[in-house]
Amino acid sequence: MAADRKRVAGPESSVAPLVEYPIDYQSWTPFTEKRHDSHRQPEDLRPIYLKTGLISEANGSAYIELEKTKLTCGVYGPRPVKRAGQGFSDKGTLNCEIKFATFSCVKRRGTMRDAQEKELSQILSQGLTPAVRLELFPKSNVDIYITVLESDGWGSCIAAAFTVASVALAHAGIEMLDLVAGCSASYIPTSIPSSSTSESTSASSEGTGAGSITPQIFMDADLEEEKFQQGSIVLAYMPSLNQTTHVLQTGKAEGAIISQSVEHCVEACNKIFAVMNHALLESIDQK
Amino acid sequence: MPSLISPAERDYILKGIECNIRADGRQRPDYREVILETGVISQTSGSARVRLAGGTDVLVSVKADIGPVLVDPETGEGADKGQIICNVECAPSASQQFEGRGADELNNELTQMMTRFLSHNTTSLTSTPSNTTPSSTTSSHNSNGAGGINLSKLCIIPGEQCWILYVDALVLDYGGNLVDAVFMGTRAAIFDTRIPKTEVQDLGDGNFDFEVLDDAEDTEIVEGREDMPICVTLNKIGARHIVDASPLEELCTEAKLVVAVNRSGELCGLQKGHDGGIEPSLLLEMIQFGKTLGQTLIKQLDAKIKAEADADMVKRQNGQPVVKLGFFAQ
Repeated sequence: MAADRKRVAGPESSVAPLVEYPIDYQSWTPFTEKRHDSHRQPEDLRPIYLKTGLISEANGSAYIELEKTKLTCGVYGPRPVKRAGQGFSDKGTLNCEIKFATFSCVKRRGTMRDAQEKELSQILSQGLTPAVRLELFPKSNVDIYITVLESDGWGSCIAAAFTVASVALAHAGIEMLDLVAGCSASYIPTSIPSSSTSESTSASSEGTGAGSITPQIFMDADLEEEKFQQGSIVLAYMPSLNQTTHVLQTGKAEGAIISQSVEHCVEACNKIFAVMNHALLESIDQK
Repeated sequence: MPSLISPAERDYILKGIECNIRADGRQRPDYREVILETGVISQTSGSARVRLAGGTDVLVSVKADIGPVLVDPETGEGADKGQIICNVECAPSASQQFEGRGADELNNELTQMMTRFLSHNTTSLTSTPSNTTPSSTTSSHNSNGAGGINLSKLCIIPGEQCWILYVDALVLDYGGNLVDAVFMGTRAAIFDTRIPKTEVQDLGDGNFDFEVLDDAEDTEIVEGREDMPICVTLNKIGARHIVDASPLEELCTEAKLVVAVNRSGELCGLQKGHDGGIEPSLLLEMIQFGKTLGQTLIKQLDAKIKAEADADMVKRQNGQPVVKLGFFAQ
């Protein structure tokens, strides 16, 4: 075979550079009854760092960090609709675009927006629209651009996106009815299911079978914890108006667990609301 | 199909729903009549057509194909599992707003929803060994996606080849409530799906070869199909919620909640849509309502599908040809 002169092959005995775990490294499992971050309890959220004014060009911007989850958001608007021939609308429109940076997840993501990001963008605009007073800017458009710099847990990314977008919108001075706080929770079984009868998959069992365990609700689960989840829920909530603007639940769960997790998420959103207010007040003090 | 609604019409619908009278005479929790037929397309492994009395027409087909396994590079999962790949497409002829790229957003939303509720593989907690032969039945619900279908059974040669079920839904006509129709059709199509049997030969040295047995009579069903979820869409209009909305009612909707429930009453998914808010207490009430309604719906659907399958079986045994009603049957 002709040698490819454009490539420089490594020596014959080369090995791919892999991070080596120390000999005593043990990957985390939920059966140790503790969370991945041993300082956290099941109902604890990760500490939030929220700051506005990151992007100077934008009308409003915000940056959020939940330990290893990092998102930035820039808000442009209200500005006139690009194609004015689209017809008169007496309400403004909200255009949300979320993009995961190619280096943000464990596996490299593509540069173009894929189907998942398009759906997330739709979800975000559905969750933020109830809070914005769109009737105050007809024929105009507000663009929200969110970039995920680092993703540590799928649910926490989406929840953080709601939070950072609301703060950026408020920072841009766009009139809103309320801020939207986002929160996520995962259902994680913390005890090993008893692998009792091998016929537990027969059709007569009620789906869960003899080896079922009630999963525990872990608030704000990170990537390591999400690997073991049976399901997750993401909730976007307006604390002052007591309205949920978005709920997304995946995986199997009993009705009682869902009710419990919705209540926990609402409580957590109230806490996040306080953080959002604090960040916005700080930004005013700086000006 | 209108994408605008006059304030008078909107008011009429709103006031009517408060009095528990909808525009076509139904009450709030009433579904329209469903016409369901399976086995309508000969080139597929399974198919179904769902028609709702208001005009919604959805055709779902399942094609079983052989392909390489998909292994998650991080967790190493998936080497012993098959795959389900979903796609929903709204035909441009279904509605005026679907022409050209108009349906792209809706297609993507429905496809992602289907993928999430059917094949979302909640990372399995395999304390039970999953590296045994594909015929093992030891693992509990963990080897299934949330969609209930046993993906381990779809594996032919672990680490190499598996069955891939391509579930394609085509919306032929839009009369409101697409999500429910698509999921009903998918459940029926999966029930109708027959996968050919495979024979695996051990060539020694860790090499395997397999052969697909071409017997039309001797096929396998999709395991776990009874646990597939069904969706109930609840539309919040005013302070009330309705089920199975017509297109005009959908235009009046403030917030929409899709509840995916399986026959054991477990919730397999929840998604809110549209631009309004829902109070948490109303949210929980709607979830409960959707769950109960969904379970009833599954029972009725299963009974009908079983009745159709039994009738076909009787006809075959008597040597009579099984004639499908065809596309234009009422």
